[in-house]
Amino acid sequence: MGTMVHTHDNKSMLSQGILIFIYLAILTALEFFVAITFNSVVLLVVVALVKAALVIYYYMHVYKLNLESEVDDASYDFKAGTNRLGLWLFLISDAFVFAGLMVVRINLLGLSRPELNQTLGLAVTTVLLVSSFFMNRGETLMRNGDRQGFLKNIALTFILGLGFLLGVVLVEWRLAIHEGITPSGSTAGAAFFMMTGMHAFHVFTGLILLAIVWINGRRGLYDVKSYPVEAAAVYWHFVDVVWIFFYPALYLIGTAVH
Amino acid sequence: MRNISPVWKGLLLLVIAGAIGYGIGLGLDALISGALNTSGPVGAAFAILFAVTAFFFGIYGYRGITRGLVYQVVGTLLGALLITGIRALMGLDNIFGVYLFSEPAWVVGALVGVVSFLFGVGVVHDWVQWSRGIDTPEHHADEPGWEKYFGVSLDHKVIGIQYTITALVLIAIGGTFAMIFRTELAASQLQFLTTELRLFNQTGPQIYNTLMSLHGIIMIISILLGISGIMNYAVPFLVGAQDMAFPRLNAFAYWVSVPASVLMLLSLVLGGFDTGWTGYPPLSARAPVGMQMFFLGVFTAGWSSILGSLNVIATVVRLRAKGMSAMRLPILVWASVATSIIALTATQLIGLSFQLVMFQRLFGMPFFDAARGGNPVLFQHLFWFYSHPAVYVFVLPGLGVISELLPVFVRKPLFGYRWVAMSSLGIALVGFTVWAHHMFTSGMNEYLRVPFMYSTLLVAVPTGVKFFSWVATMWGGKIETPTPMLFVLGAIIVFLMGGLTGPPNAAIALDLHLHDTYWVVGHFHDTIFGGFVFPFFAAIYYWFPKATGRRMNEFWGKVHFWMMTPSFFVLTLGMMLIGLRGMRRRIVDYDPALGFDFAQLIMTIGGYLIALSVLIFIINLFHSIKHGEKAEGNLWNSRSPEWQVPSPMPVHNYDVPFEVVGEPYDYGLKDSKYVEFSPNGQKHIEFTTEPEVQPHRH
Repeated sequence: MGTMVHTHDNKSMLSQGILIFIYLAILTALEFFVAITFNSVVLLVVVALVKAALVIYYYMHVYKLNLESEVDDASYDFKAGTNRLGLWLFLISDAFVFAGLMVVRINLLGLSRPELNQTLGLAVTTVLLVSSFFMNRGETLMRNGDRQGFLKNIALTFILGLGFLLGVVLVEWRLAIHEGITPSGSTAGAAFFMMTGMHAFHVFTGLILLAIVWINGRRGLYDVKSYPVEAAAVYWHFVDVVWIFFYPALYLIGTAVH
Repeated sequence: MRNISPVWKGLLLLVIAGAIGYGIGLGLDALISGALNTSGPVGAAFAILFAVTAFFFGIYGYRGITRGLVYQVVGTLLGALLITGIRALMGLDNIFGVYLFSEPAWVVGALVGVVSFLFGVGVVHDWVQWSRGIDTPEHHADEPGWEKYFGVSLDHKVIGIQYTITALVLIAIGGTFAMIFRTELAASQLQFLTTELRLFNQTGPQIYNTLMSLHGIIMIISILLGISGIMNYAVPFLVGAQDMAFPRLNAFAYWVSVPASVLMLLSLVLGGFDTGWTGYPPLSARAPVGMQMFFLGVFTAGWSSILGSLNVIATVVRLRAKGMSAMRLPILVWASVATSIIALTATQLIGLSFQLVMFQRLFGMPFFDAARGGNPVLFQHLFWFYSHPAVYVFVLPGLGVISELLPVFVRKPLFGYRWVAMSSLGIALVGFTVWAHHMFTSGMNEYLRVPFMYSTLLVAVPTGVKFFSWVATMWGGKIETPTPMLFVLGAIIVFLMGGLTGPPNAAIALDLHLHDTYWVVGHFHDTIFGGFVFPFFAAIYYWFPKATGRRMNEFWGKVHFWMMTPSFFVLTLGMMLIGLRGMRRRIVDYDPALGFDFAQLIMTIGGYLIALSVLIFIINLFHSIKHGEKAEGNLWNSRSPEWQVPSPMPVHNYDVPFEVVGEPYDYGLKDSKYVEFSPNGQKHIEFTTEPEVQPHRH
């Protein structure tokens, strides 16, 4: 029953994923362009909000919270609905941590930002965005019953996610310290390391979830009881949404100070 | 050994292991520092950890909580040793600290200890299995008898009682701390907490500061556990669910509070901390290692609160009985949802604020260091964003209990159901906008004061709605006064006092004078006793028969009430009186010329009488479990569904599900019915005892 509902929009879901990815890529390019040309804070905030809305609606399927399931309360679908609500409540709670960090950044730095490597910032942002695309694709393929495609896309997501994590922690952090931006050196350094560190921790936990889903997917799980795949995907996209705000906050908005 | 009762065995082991732990700690300390420090922190730390663990081993054996504690002790030591080793390899100068390990070693050790506890107690077992692709039974069968309370249970009623008992233990500990420093305050000058005293590396006044700070935070955690106890126990059966929406998460949320409590106690011996429970930097950025244990303890307990409230919301949204629409929910359920909305979201901000101070201490990140561009006032904003709404987290379930019980004992419908239901939500939402009223004297921007004053005064409106409802409900009713009702009435009066003394603090001009005086302490204790302590006792007296099939002794219950209430008024009115005359809060001594000695003495006697009354309550509670008068039916003649089934309730609450067919509080109306039991009434969850699917291996 559960699979029947979704089969008619197989193809459209896949092409929708691609379309949304193109929108997101264009918007990311746009915000980078805005930042290096006339640097309008308002415009950057608007672009970030639009990007986040796209991800939340099309990749995280927030509308599913509203699905009225006609099915038996003892069914897997009903329990999955309860789990879905639980996960979203958790994400709302978690969002308050990141919002708090944003408040810290705004309060301490205002319209200044640490002087970071712009190329690297855009690169890791792109990597995370592409990983979100493959995550969505993997989830859709699994729902369509294409296990091999699902596994391949999850693996790609994992590799890109790992690339983002290492890019931030091993490359970007080293570069920053080399440039004199250290955790203890200034409030800008402290805010940068705290925000990227907290985000990297969430990426790390997301990678663990991806690994679990991939291993169990290989073992043949999730044909019927596929909610864990959706949960891992929603969590992964949430981590992406956080970065949608952190990236402009740390790299783009305001003027760089040393 | 066979004939000795487990409690005595536990106590015996507690003493022996405490002595052994003390010896080991003392030896290690002497080995590293080269001096024998008999009243030092390390011996005490080891003694506490060993003694508590051995106590549970004695009464329960090596499983459940005992194994958790052993894991925590071992995990803490391993984590600390790991960091010590790394620091040694890095060639740092001070690989050891004043308290045996260095501060980073203690922090990492404490974190590893908490995680180890959770693995040791077994609460993450099922999740680990699921992540390996192995299904586990939906519910595990509990052991019969009292032993199920010492291990992981998934039954919300068991978890509710675990929460309640833990809350009572913490109330006893926090109350003892209060009695110690209240005794010191009974007369001016330093009596026994003198500057010559040395205990755990602290002088007498420092011990005072630590105990005062710990009294605050331990009571706060005990309140959070207490409301979780009420919500966990009552919400599922009030809405007609068989359990909470996420039974494992529920167990996790309870068990994570146990290592948190251990960390709190550790902070006492690891140098303590002198900031008060608010932990403001810059003082908290330089306090001893105990500060870090406090931060980690709050952080860990915060997760208990967050995950518990997530569960409450999901349960109420998804698992209500047929016909239970929003406007037919019991008021306690509305209150629980309102409380959970705050706890779910705002709690993260206190965690974040403490985490930032922790990182400032560990890595030198200058968030709140004004000398390096940081902003100490920012801490206060982050901190109070949770810590003010937190008081609504504390009182809303209690106010819900009042509205829930009042109609039962006056035999009249609850006046203005809709308004009362919405007032809880109103308090919760307005509560998000008032935090900076704690900061009128902090040096924040002055233009912020007025809006925060008005938003604070606004809280009085939905709170007033509740009072009108209570008074109108009682008006012309046939008031019966068994013990639970006495505590309900006490709660209303005490909370009224707390409520009336609030707006003066909100008014900026007055607050500048009242800030940091005993007036505020008196006001706060009034709100919390009225909003939590009295309703908590009422709830325990009321639902005790539901849990045990026996009722608590009425006579001693009344003694409890009539001893506690007047003593409490003496204590808090005294606090407010001397506060208005200039008594500062959080200080170990005061000038005899102020003339507060007599008032302080009377207040201290009042404090002792409260402690005695709570002791009577605890003895009554445990005595009544076995020897109370039998009460298996609808003892209070309530309309609520849980009283329509025998006590104690079956494992999954209702053998026959119910359907809501009327209003919840239509007491005294002819032929009105709230619930009807019928097989098709309930949102239904299958409970299997065998794994549904065998391990997936290909």
